[in-house]
Amino acid sequence: MKLSGRVSFREMEGGVWVLEGDDGRTYQIAGGDGRLRKSGQRIEVEGEVDSAALTLAMVGPVLKVKRYRPL
Amino acid sequence: MVTSIAAPLEPTIVSGLRRKGAKLQGDTLVSLVRIAGVLLLAGAALGGCCKAPCAPVKGATSDDPGSRVPGAIVVDFKDGTTKAEFDAWEKEWGIDLEFNSIEGPQDGVTIAVGVQDVEAVLAKIRRHPAVEAAEPLKKYQKTFIPNDPQFGKQWNLRQIHMPEAWELSRGKGVVVAVLDTGIAYADYQDFRQVPDLKGIKFVKGYNFVNDDEHPNDDHGHGTHVAGTIAQATNNNEGVAGIAFEAALMPLKVLDESGMGVSADIADAIRFAADHGANVINMSLGGGGYSRVIENAIAYARRKGVTVVAAAGNTGLGQVAYPAAYEGVIAVSAVGPSGKRAPYSSFGKQLDIAAPGGDKRAGPEGGILQNTIDGRNRGESLYKSLEGTSMATAHVSGVAALLYARGARSPSEVEKALFDGASPVNGQEWSEEYGHGLLNAEQSLNLLGRDASGTNWPPLFLAAGLLVLVLLTLLPRRRPGYLNVLMSPAFFIPLVLATVGVFFARWAFGGAQGVAAQMVDYASLPIPDWQRFLFGRGRLANPLFYSALIPLAGSAFAIALKRLHHVVAGLAMGFAGFLLYAAWSRAPGLAFLPFNFLALPWLIANSIICLFIARAMLDKEVGR
Repeated sequence: MKLSGRVSFREMEGGVWVLEGDDGRTYQIAGGDGRLRKSGQRIEVEGEVDSAALTLAMVGPVLKVKRYRPL
Repeated sequence: MVTSIAAPLEPTIVSGLRRKGAKLQGDTLVSLVRIAGVLLLAGAALGGCCKAPCAPVKGATSDDPGSRVPGAIVVDFKDGTTKAEFDAWEKEWGIDLEFNSIEGPQDGVTIAVGVQDVEAVLAKIRRHPAVEAAEPLKKYQKTFIPNDPQFGKQWNLRQIHMPEAWELSRGKGVVVAVLDTGIAYADYQDFRQVPDLKGIKFVKGYNFVNDDEHPNDDHGHGTHVAGTIAQATNNNEGVAGIAFEAALMPLKVLDESGMGVSADIADAIRFAADHGANVINMSLGGGGYSRVIENAIAYARRKGVTVVAAAGNTGLGQVAYPAAYEGVIAVSAVGPSGKRAPYSSFGKQLDIAAPGGDKRAGPEGGILQNTIDGRNRGESLYKSLEGTSMATAHVSGVAALLYARGARSPSEVEKALFDGASPVNGQEWSEEYGHGLLNAEQSLNLLGRDASGTNWPPLFLAAGLLVLVLLTLLPRRRPGYLNVLMSPAFFIPLVLATVGVFFARWAFGGAQGVAAQMVDYASLPIPDWQRFLFGRGRLANPLFYSALIPLAGSAFAIALKRLHHVVAGLAMGFAGFLLYAAWSRAPGLAFLPFNFLALPWLIANSIICLFIARAMLDKEVGR
């Protein structure tokens, strides 16, 4: 599936990268490279949402990034 | 989330109830004695599920070096005041003053105990010209200030009154399982134990991610959480932890990226329960509802384990699983100001708030513990973190202190935690803070008192119910009216309205699925059936906690005379239940969150119920 949104870094639990999706939900980013992790960057992601994972970040479902491109 | 359940009753009650079904034509005295006995036992059952503080003693303020002794005051009269003089004055104040010691006749210092409304009485006393000072009696508690060099930065431990609490308990003999990324607990291959866990006891754990016996931490989160629970304390190194004489059980269920799956977590919960853990800390969440995890939690609870979990970090009004499951203590996070941190989730299953940190003003607002650098395993550092994970660890640590001080079950631990919590904004319960802010000292003190004190509240309650029945009935001296009370038609609704089918869980505890849910609801008193409609929130719906149901019943009874017994029993039961709810301040009412509104509501409605009961019995007996 494809998702677009804004990349953001959150302080809690030692720091977690999230995608503030244009669908109004917040996703925890998994995978992708260092260039993806730029706070404020708008991107379009192709990947999978893993709603079953339990995490220590607890910010929302996990988005496993396959490909992405900056918007 | 945690909802209390009715305490299992002794078999005598069941046989007592069976007797009620038999035809009773004994004389009035015998009937009276039986009513008294049954009400006494019903009262005991209700008392067992008391959710609210049985003694409304809460939260000494933090700027207060001593804590107040409930209902006690000290009055300093002008030097040379005699006993005869204050004996004359005290009648007007409604208290009984005595000299505090043999110094009394010289220095004029007196004390009184059992004072009902301390503030009002003090205000009256202070106006008297012979009084130099009058104030609540304070107890000066010894404090334990550990020598850990960075203890001064741990605002969080002062916020929950740890220096006082450490005088009462340090968690000796208790096992806390930490389900997380592992703990830097031992040297193994590249892994090193962090210095500030040196000397802490560890029991055998497991690595469910790699399926081996080495639950070392490859992330840093689990070690930080473990540090809050049991950092080595008073060791001249680093920082302090809450239950530093407890043992930790490292259970690795999250991988190096901080993620895990339901099967591992369920297995780890059962492992902990089977290997002697008293407390399970789950600083993790998400993944939605899982029957497998829910069953594992129920299993652990049956084995006497207290399960604590984080509400989540979305900042939204929805508690994450596993915190949202029945039988789990759901924890939200506050910053140094005591206000809910903006990231902390909250919601109707929330149970308690604890320090989780708020770093918006800088790292000193976070929770400082010894952990490892996730990118450089083995590298020890002191790191300030924020999150509901950190808050959860505080509650688990205090739960360990409670077990070490003699708590025997999750229900006892929860009762002490919730009753001891300092209310926030004057509310008994709220979606943001649950029962309030964690207070280790107060919770430990409440536990001590419960263990040693007489179990008076249920006796008071039973006596109160008996008085209600007698006041309603005695004025009409008609033959046979007491036998009405013994009829099942009267008695069964009375029991249902006050304690529910209290033996349902005991008799059908093994039920599964829909049947299990039916058993759950049957074991609730009728006013709590509102949960069926409104969920298991902390606030009760005021329409169910009112005379509405008996009133509706009485409308039917106008047409159907056979219903008179039933409605009378129902109304009497409701009256007792509502008065009990008012007296115990439990639970809060939705839309009426403050006591000054909820109390009159409960009392007025129980009076209406009494009138209904009286009217119903009047008609019945009159024919």
